[in-house]
Amino acid sequence: MIVELLIALSVGAGLFGVGLYGALSQTNLVMIVMGVELILAAALVNLVAFWRYLHPDEPAGQMFVLIVMAVMAVEMAVAFGIAIARFRVRGSVEMEEARELKG
Amino acid sequence: MTVQMIFLAFFGGAAVWFGVVVFRTHSMVRSALALLFSQTAIGAMFLVMQAEFLGVLQIMMMATEMSVMAIFMVMFMMDPGGMGKMDMTHQKRLSLWAGGIGLLAALLLVWLPDWSPVALSVPGAHEQAADLGRELLGRSMFIFQSAGLTILTAMIAATMVAIVPNAEQGK
Repeated sequence: MIVELLIALSVGAGLFGVGLYGALSQTNLVMIVMGVELILAAALVNLVAFWRYLHPDEPAGQMFVLIVMAVMAVEMAVAFGIAIARFRVRGSVEMEEARELKG
Repeated sequence: MTVQMIFLAFFGGAAVWFGVVVFRTHSMVRSALALLFSQTAIGAMFLVMQAEFLGVLQIMMMATEMSVMAIFMVMFMMDPGGMGKMDMTHQKRLSLWAGGIGLLAALLLVWLPDWSPVALSVPGAHEQAADLGRELLGRSMFIFQSAGLTILTAMIAATMVAIVPNAEQGK
């Protein structure tokens, strides 16, 4: 059972690494959102693995998964709202052209 | 080697591989589909880990979410089909280093600690769903309601940001 836990957590680590690369390397807002989605997916895998292999009698672990799913939905909704506003004003969602948003 | 181990490794490998494909293809529609496959593989991993409710929820939710994402891709991209093979990346070396270091740090955190004792069995699917319901409507009700309120706020905020202001409409 410990091997299954290590496999699941390693998959989480892999998704985190790929997501981090994507979020930092992409210039398009929608692609950056995809990177962040992968990072949050890594958190989901870890939470389910911890629940399954370490605390299966504790439903709070599953509850946290629902919270992270809600965060994923919220992040996507807000990002697309910003994308629509940006596209309307500039005709593009390229973040290279959004330097004026920098504080 | 157990059946669970084989399926977990297979779906886990698929999830990471499709995650990589998201950033390797030039076609934005393919990127959205690759992310959908990655998230579906994660849902399958949940099913292998006997979290049936969460597995089905993950697959259903992500199928909808990624379909919406594919539509946005086609709307906003200059070259959604990827025929022009445009490069849409920057600071590639820094990103590769950051991703690599993040991966190595996470793997160290996974492989170094002693995780034992590991649970051998889980409650049945019905019991899990009932326990989760009791948790959500009992001890964690405040957190659960906060999540609902956050989603509502995000929906209103996203709509307000996206709609055309009256002053602009008149022009």
